[in-house]
Amino acid sequence: MKIEIKNIDKAFGAIEAVKDVSFSVSGGEVCALIGENGAGKSTLMNILGGVLPADRGEILIDGQQVNFQKPADSLNAGIAFIHQELNLINDLPIYENMFIGRELKKKGRILDLEKMIARTKEVFDQMEIDLDPKTMVRDLDTSYKQIVEISRAIMMDASIIIMDEPTTSLTDQEIERVFEMMKTLKKQNVGIVFISHKLNEVIEFCDRYSVLRNGELVAEGMVSEVNVDQLARAMVGHELRTESLQRKTESGREVLRAENLSYNNDFKNISFSVHQGEILGVTGLLGDGRQELFQAIFGSGQIEAGELYLNDQQVEIKNTTDALQKGIGYLPRDRKENGIIKDMDIFENASIVTWPLFDNFGIIDREKQEQEFKEQVERLRIKMGAKNDSINSLSGGNQQKIVLAKWLIANPEIFILDNPTQGVDVGAKEDIYDIILELAAEGIAVVILSSEAKEIIRICDRALVMYHGVIQGELSQAEMSEHEIMRLATGASLNSVQEGAEDAEK
Amino acid sequence: MQKNNKQNSEQGFKHWFIKKWSTEPIFSTGIALIVMIILQTWSLGFDYDSFGSWFFTWTNNWINILRNNAGVGLIALGMSFVIMSAGIDLSVGSTMVAVGAALMMLIDRGPNGILINLGIEGIPAILIAILVSLAFGYFLGNLNGILITRGGIPPFVVTLATMKLYRSVTQHFMQGYNPRVPLEFLPISNFQIGRFRMMPIIYWLLIAAVLYFMSKRTTFGRQIIAVGSNERSANLSGVNVKKVKRRVYAITGLLVSFAAIIQVSRIGSMDYANAGSGYEMEAIAAAVVGGTSMSGGRGTVIGTLLGVLIIAVMNNLLNLLGVPPFLREAFKGLILIGAVLMQKKQKTV
Repeated sequence: MKIEIKNIDKAFGAIEAVKDVSFSVSGGEVCALIGENGAGKSTLMNILGGVLPADRGEILIDGQQVNFQKPADSLNAGIAFIHQELNLINDLPIYENMFIGRELKKKGRILDLEKMIARTKEVFDQMEIDLDPKTMVRDLDTSYKQIVEISRAIMMDASIIIMDEPTTSLTDQEIERVFEMMKTLKKQNVGIVFISHKLNEVIEFCDRYSVLRNGELVAEGMVSEVNVDQLARAMVGHELRTESLQRKTESGREVLRAENLSYNNDFKNISFSVHQGEILGVTGLLGDGRQELFQAIFGSGQIEAGELYLNDQQVEIKNTTDALQKGIGYLPRDRKENGIIKDMDIFENASIVTWPLFDNFGIIDREKQEQEFKEQVERLRIKMGAKNDSINSLSGGNQQKIVLAKWLIANPEIFILDNPTQGVDVGAKEDIYDIILELAAEGIAVVILSSEAKEIIRICDRALVMYHGVIQGELSQAEMSEHEIMRLATGASLNSVQEGAEDAEK
Repeated sequence: MQKNNKQNSEQGFKHWFIKKWSTEPIFSTGIALIVMIILQTWSLGFDYDSFGSWFFTWTNNWINILRNNAGVGLIALGMSFVIMSAGIDLSVGSTMVAVGAALMMLIDRGPNGILINLGIEGIPAILIAILVSLAFGYFLGNLNGILITRGGIPPFVVTLATMKLYRSVTQHFMQGYNPRVPLEFLPISNFQIGRFRMMPIIYWLLIAAVLYFMSKRTTFGRQIIAVGSNERSANLSGVNVKKVKRRVYAITGLLVSFAAIIQVSRIGSMDYANAGSGYEMEAIAAAVVGGTSMSGGRGTVIGTLLGVLIIAVMNNLLNLLGVPPFLREAFKGLILIGAVLMQKKQKTV
């Protein structure tokens, strides 16, 4: 099967989201659709998925023109759309999820569980997946959930699958698993549209690419003929920095010190310190406990044992309000769940942290908030409409900048950033790095939690690697490499660093 | 673009109206209210020849509607904040009875009156009684809040329990005890301005104005929305979620005590078994009709005021039209469903 979209136009009010874009994908090929946030990728795919009507242009399936009015039309034509937010019900087992809305029934409207299980198993076998259909979806990790959704699409005879940033919230091993699945799909002559920010994955895995920028198709071709730099340049329209941002600086006095912090099995005997003007990286694999540890330090979680010192004074952080007042800031991961508040506008989202800091007897100081807000919008180069537009009107990168802005206005002494560049496009990523460097230069102690070793190496002065709730090792600027970080993150001990060096010499 | 503009001006009003209707709950609720008021005015029988007496009847009817609903109106305001914070308070009616009983014990002129036995009488007694009642309502609301936040029990369960608790204990203690409310207490609700007894309306609207300001301009007011919309985000933004929730219930308790004071001063007595029963549902209905989202994060003071008015005016209208009494509740149900269906549409637009 081959799908072509030709000369599609789509405008929202005065904003032209997609301008004269053509794109095609055939069975058995993986076609990457790349572009920054707001480049028009989602709009284009929503048109293909029957979610949005196009203003102009046509969609052809094997040369026949089709007209999609609603998502079901597109699905019936064999196009499945796997959204970033997965569409599964956690409290049902896999097989019921596979058949949701189209349950198989025996006589008398009784569910035919055996048949559903058998059919699911069949699909899994066909896809070479080793999963028990009776597992509850809640017990699966995100990659398996994605695999279940893809299997469901296959069961419904989808011959083209659109995947919207499938790897954003996955760990490296999980990504590997999804890629395996995609390889199998390819073998079975299924066409895949792969929407992503991660250019390495595109290079490694896709056959063709199309790049969108500001709603226009700016480049397309075979992946084998380009490299990451060229793709990145096509995406942002100018050269990108790739050099290391590590600085050679003396860090100042110690701001935060943890001694033997423990809670349950989440983290054990954690001791470390952070200094003024330093950027400390903390990394590890899934389940390493770094998120639990730093949320506990921020007062949103518990500490059983151990002491915490702020500026050499022992403190107890009762809750997040307490942490805020003591000068600790925390930019959470998963912007949608933890970062933004969808019922509030852009301005309110950016000022929520500082309402209590600047208010007069409980009354919000709007003038001051507005002034601070304006400064941050300029500083972070946030692209937005009116300040009382909905937060959802912003692209992912700009939403993240708003979450960052709310903490910058609070001016914390210690700033913990958990996956600060998650789901953010290349341009916004660099902006965020710039801000982090500025903050360190101003003397703020910065802690970056990240699952991307590259990010840690590129920006941090010092890194802690965690493994199952303990600090497995500490690496100085000179010692950091992806290899070393991965060794420690998978549980190898620090003294094996020497062995590694010897191996390299041999 | 030019073509677009032309289209816009051709269907300018229609376009504007549809957009407003489908995006702003207050707009659609307001229109619904205006339609009802027109119907109501019409059914009161407009007579041009005797405009003066017609106008008096019309005004008097309105004052009655508003005064009768001031108590529920105050409670609905509290309820809407509770719902905005993604909670629920079923105990409001029982809290009102408990506060009312405490108030009457304090101001009782009989041999068991608390303040009279302490030698306090007249205006000072009334002032003290009012302050103590307000504090008591705040305390009972706060107790709900503490059970919900510290105890980690769902709001529905906590307030269902305290709904039973507050009323039952009140009834037990007030058996066979009929406090006599002093005459000086009655003007609080019955003082006449011109030819109308409209004090409860004034309290209601004044308090609504204060709450409006609180919800729009204060840290606490905005934090309620944040907590109701996304508790995790709010917590990770340094909002003390537990404190915000606790205070929302406490403030509702405070508003309920205002309603209790109005109730006692209006009629000089209270029926402990029945007073305020069903108020929780009336208040929830008013809040929901006014655009408050049951899942939290959305709602306004003005919306809730309109919600109370719509239900009240509809009651009055059904009465004027002679709809059989047992059928009237059905209309309330229909209005509620209609309002929620409309909001659902608005969410997806």
